[in-house]
Amino acid sequence: MVSFVEFLGAKIISNVSSFGDFILVSIRCFRSIFKRPFDTNYFLNQCSFVGVSSVPVVLMTSLSVSMVFAVQLAFGFKQFQAEGLASQVEGLAVIRELAPVITGLMLAGRVGSAMAAEIGTMRITEQIDALECLATDPIHYLFVPRFLAAILMLPMLTILSIYISFWGGHFILVNLSFQSSDFYTSEFFKLISSSDLRIALIKAFVFGVIISLVGCWKGFRTEGGAVGVGAAPTSSVVTSSLWILIADFVLTKLLLV
Amino acid sequence: MPMIKLHNVSKAFDQNKVLDRISLEVEESESLVILGGSGTGKTVLLKVILGLLRPNDGNIFVDGARVNIDQPTALFEIRKKIGMCFQMAALFDSMTVLENISFGLSRHTNYSSVQIRSRVDECLTLVGLRDTATLYPSELSGGMKRRVGFARAIALKPKILLFDEPTTGLDPVMTDVISKVITDLRSELRATTITITHDLKVAFNIGQNISLLHRGSIVASGSPQGFASNQDPLVVQFIKGTSEGPFLADPPPKSQITI
Repeated sequence: MVSFVEFLGAKIISNVSSFGDFILVSIRCFRSIFKRPFDTNYFLNQCSFVGVSSVPVVLMTSLSVSMVFAVQLAFGFKQFQAEGLASQVEGLAVIRELAPVITGLMLAGRVGSAMAAEIGTMRITEQIDALECLATDPIHYLFVPRFLAAILMLPMLTILSIYISFWGGHFILVNLSFQSSDFYTSEFFKLISSSDLRIALIKAFVFGVIISLVGCWKGFRTEGGAVGVGAAPTSSVVTSSLWILIADFVLTKLLLV
Repeated sequence: MPMIKLHNVSKAFDQNKVLDRISLEVEESESLVILGGSGTGKTVLLKVILGLLRPNDGNIFVDGARVNIDQPTALFEIRKKIGMCFQMAALFDSMTVLENISFGLSRHTNYSSVQIRSRVDECLTLVGLRDTATLYPSELSGGMKRRVGFARAIALKPKILLFDEPTTGLDPVMTDVISKVITDLRSELRATTITITHDLKVAFNIGQNISLLHRGSIVASGSPQGFASNQDPLVVQFIKGTSEGPFLADPPPKSQITI
């Protein structure tokens, strides 16, 4: 019993300590944003990696999720002879929830894990020590370009996801459920206001913050050689995904009221 | 005033005391070699000097300024005076040799790209690696990586050079090449150097002073001649390279085989 309490206590202290470290490193990152020199090329490379390279993944997932969702809605509303509502609910769900969350989760897997693995490898091979020895703050050099790229690219990818999802729903509801294209288009946007798009972009921005900071932090604190480098991306994906879902709930509750 | 001064520096990881009240002074342009077995705290000593690790006790001064991890701006100014050569080179593997060496120059100087390229070529010539600027670290041999690491370390013309086991894992010929490069760099830059090694040949080739680090303490120091004639049992055993003696905490069991 005592050993269980000791184990539990140690686990709680360890988690609180890790969270505190994450907050401190994040604050260092925010403070470093306006420091000079700013490596523009490195930032653009990160934008390309986070944004451009993620387009196929976002395209495929958005298309498949929106099509599945449209099939389910068409089937569900058919039970009540209310097929027309499928387009409206499709639009509402895509813009408010599916596009930002699917984009966030996919990028947590694709980008967050890569950040953790890359920075973790740099830690293990003393490249981060080398940065420090060259009088370069690793938080400024490694975190800031990734952070800025993520908060810039996530909203843009979310807009892309909304656009692709519109056409995914269009394909199902127009071609298979025989709605007219004009009807689908007008119904898709019927329940949507500009604040819904704003909510989606705010969510994407927050998910970008989570993905980049968790990925970089997990890599930065990597220890234990190859095992540590292997564990960092896994831990990054799990932690980011969890926080994305929690943040989604909190933001939905706060912004919709 | 010494270029590097350590006063009663101690460092422990949990219960494991790695450095135990170490005091040493390195004068300007001096070449100090610190010898010691594996796991005796040699690399930790360099990391403490660089401010990469926080000592539990004691003070470190570099060129008169105190190394203080809590003052990052001042610490970075100190680090600009130091060129660190890592055991495994620690080159940035996503960058070419040119980008590795120019990294510090592009961040801490106002050099134009032409000036940077010229300085990179100069550094590569000093380490005997011209025509490698466009290669990536993965395309270099172990000895070449070390030398590119040296070139990166000297690019900002530091007053101090720190070498962490520069010849470990290299063949005898490459070891000799590295020794000569270190000697050339020191005379070219008139830099103060600390070299951590357990290679006696390298130590006697490049050291003006040699110290032996054993279980976190400096147990012997002196000129190469004085060190070679030191009768301390630890020094004698280390120079002879035998397993019997006080050097090992857990010596191997004596052979039971009789012929």
